[in-house]
Amino acid sequence: MNEEGNATAGRSSAFVVSARKRKLQKITKSAGESLLFLVAAIVAIIVLFIFYFVARDAIPFFQIRGFSEFFTSSEWYPADDPPRFGALAIIYGSLMVTAGSALIAVPMGIIAAICLSDVLPFSMRQYVKPVIEMLAAIPSVAFGFFALVILAPLLQSFGGPILMWTWWLIATPFLLLAVIVSSELLVMSISDDVRRQQVQRILASAFGIVAILLLFFVGRGLQKIEILTGTNALNVSIILSFMALPTIVSVSEDALQAVGRDMREGSYALGATRAETIIKIILPAASSGILAAVILGIMRALGETMVVWMASGNSSHIPDPWFNYLESVRTLTATIAGDMGEADQVTGSARFHVLFAMGLLLLVISFISNFISERIVVRQRKILSGQ
Amino acid sequence: MNLGTRKLLDRSFTALGIGSIVIMGMMLLVVLVPIVFNGVTANVFRGTVEHRKLLYNEFRRGDKAELQREIVESDAVRSKAYAMLDQFEVEMSSMDEAKQAEYQDKYRQVKESLKALLGPRPGGDIPELTRYKYGQTRWSKAEEKLHELLYEKQWDYSNPDAEAKEYFVSRSAGFQGTSLVKLFPYVEENLDRMLLPEWTIYWGFITDSSIDSHIFGGIWPEIQGTIFLAIGAMLFAFPLGVIAAVYFTEYAREGFFNSLLRSANSTLAGVPSIVFGLFGLAFFINTLKVSESKSVLAGSLTLAIMILPTIIRSAEEAILAVPKTYREASLGLGSTKWNTIVTVILPAALPGILTGGVISLGRAAGETAPIIFTAAVSVGSAIGLADVFNSPTPALSWNIYNLASEHEAASEIRHVQYGMVLALVTIVLLLNMSAIILRARISKKLKG
Repeated sequence: MNEEGNATAGRSSAFVVSARKRKLQKITKSAGESLLFLVAAIVAIIVLFIFYFVARDAIPFFQIRGFSEFFTSSEWYPADDPPRFGALAIIYGSLMVTAGSALIAVPMGIIAAICLSDVLPFSMRQYVKPVIEMLAAIPSVAFGFFALVILAPLLQSFGGPILMWTWWLIATPFLLLAVIVSSELLVMSISDDVRRQQVQRILASAFGIVAILLLFFVGRGLQKIEILTGTNALNVSIILSFMALPTIVSVSEDALQAVGRDMREGSYALGATRAETIIKIILPAASSGILAAVILGIMRALGETMVVWMASGNSSHIPDPWFNYLESVRTLTATIAGDMGEADQVTGSARFHVLFAMGLLLLVISFISNFISERIVVRQRKILSGQ
Repeated sequence: MNLGTRKLLDRSFTALGIGSIVIMGMMLLVVLVPIVFNGVTANVFRGTVEHRKLLYNEFRRGDKAELQREIVESDAVRSKAYAMLDQFEVEMSSMDEAKQAEYQDKYRQVKESLKALLGPRPGGDIPELTRYKYGQTRWSKAEEKLHELLYEKQWDYSNPDAEAKEYFVSRSAGFQGTSLVKLFPYVEENLDRMLLPEWTIYWGFITDSSIDSHIFGGIWPEIQGTIFLAIGAMLFAFPLGVIAAVYFTEYAREGFFNSLLRSANSTLAGVPSIVFGLFGLAFFINTLKVSESKSVLAGSLTLAIMILPTIIRSAEEAILAVPKTYREASLGLGSTKWNTIVTVILPAALPGILTGGVISLGRAAGETAPIIFTAAVSVGSAIGLADVFNSPTPALSWNIYNLASEHEAASEIRHVQYGMVLALVTIVLLLNMSAIILRARISKKLKG
């Protein structure tokens, strides 16, 4: 009744609001705002909960078994009696496939990002971006299926020739370029034109012979390699690198775009070519943003489950020698996914809690790297806006 | 360095960049083409009379009279092969002990192969498992089985350094001089008359449940489970995400708290998917006990947490992209801030917000790791809408893993696996493509 009276009063004199109504408005406004804040704060609460609940089930493991076995032993026999929970080989496997995928994805991703932001004309970019988005959208289990059913048998039966052809295709253009450029650089000090060209020709042919020999013998060596199992660290690294690529490309492209036009134009005005501008001016300016992109991409590879579970072979040992990518490995994520089925029945045992310990390890690594990459991005933004 | 070399370096740098983009495009093709090509064969293939028998017996589909005619026709051809088996059995019983022992094992293998090819012999015992009740339903599989009948696989261990090599020995050579020799050329020549293959489009692959753990039948329970999980996740995450985005863009003041919330958001985006699964198990199932054990509800909640950061980010971007003039015009007309947000800004940002939502929907549908411990089971029938609170469901992503890595006959049902992968990839990519198209239209509209 009273409310209605207020409302009519408000309507009759449009701009005069009674003190009571103003108070009501203020209360609803602040109540609404705090409600919105609460919803937004849910994200923070969820993060806290994730840490708490994963840690709550992880800590009992360290209470039962201590720290040293988990991090220093590579004997993983959780079902034996007495069980052994050495996760060193598993942690190493995770690092190995992550490093392998980073080796492929980081150079490719940065170069593709440069190409997208500085080289390709705008009309082409429209068609390239959906390709990258589709690569990012394909479900991990589809990649895992591809790795297991198509790539693994291929590697197993044609491993040597595949390695050889990859080496030839990649190394040939690079070596050719290296021959030309190095022979050019070495003769720079000779002032006589005719003599310089003669020396350069001799040097180029000498380097060329070395390069051809290198190509041939390394290729032959690779061809002789027999891959015993197609489900190995190499297979997983290749697939993971293509899963990490979209992240690396899109984040570093943003970083490259953030470098202003004036820098590029200044460099071109001084007579630099496009490659020189990019390598000497733009990349250093965008380096911290690119670093953040690399960290995010690597985290994507480290946290990936299905591909490594399906195609890494899941054998818990440190490859011999340690860089042998042609052996099966086992990763943290795959162990959590694979062992929970059996450990689930015995909630409360070390076997159950060790999986949460692994999850906590992953969580902490992802938190730290996320924090670092975020700091880096903030710093770059400050530096660039400061200039 | 002279100008020529610098130009060369510049060009090779460009080539390197374009090359790496081309490699990414090729990778996309290399992954998608075999999936699409093999996935289609799950729906479209040369079905044999066994396939039509199966359809009629299990689903009551197909023309009964026509089927009867076909069965009679094929049985007439098959009976001759069975007669040869009987003849050889009589012949074998009249042999001496040593010879009988020699043929016994080989003959058993032949009989098994023929059974795998044509199904159990009419009049004999009806097997327990559905997978043994029928012969080969697909002509391509039948040809593989025919090869198994005609040739025996053996391994060559002669070179101790290399891996053993497989090679094939003709089975008919083993029966030289007996009446069974005739069987092999007879089956080889008349197989198409025994199985009557014809091109079939089996839409039931999408709409049927599986029979005998995916040996036969379709993948509807999995598709339905995926849809339930993804939509359930959206129901939780979408409203929350949009409200949070409104807060971040319209109300949040710069400060410690706000940057903390933003860090929390990016931390959540970086958590590995398997850790979400662990959290879902520990929190929703073991602590909150939203359900007895795995359930669609628990899985949806877990997926919702996973896609929340993506939704918040894209909704924020969409809201920020609304031109400032809209806001100023609305405020200038005297409406309140809240009114402006609800009636002006959100409708203008809606297509952008939906784009992010659609992409997240695709992500929720494709993700496997969070639902392993919270929602997914390997074999099961489609669940009703009322069961989502307490029963788990099969889902495409999980069953692809399960069929490819853990199924006892994984290499026999590759076509089902490919079909599932194709279904999942189609769902996800269609969602993503519609998002891409939607976004292109928005940017055109904003440009005017």
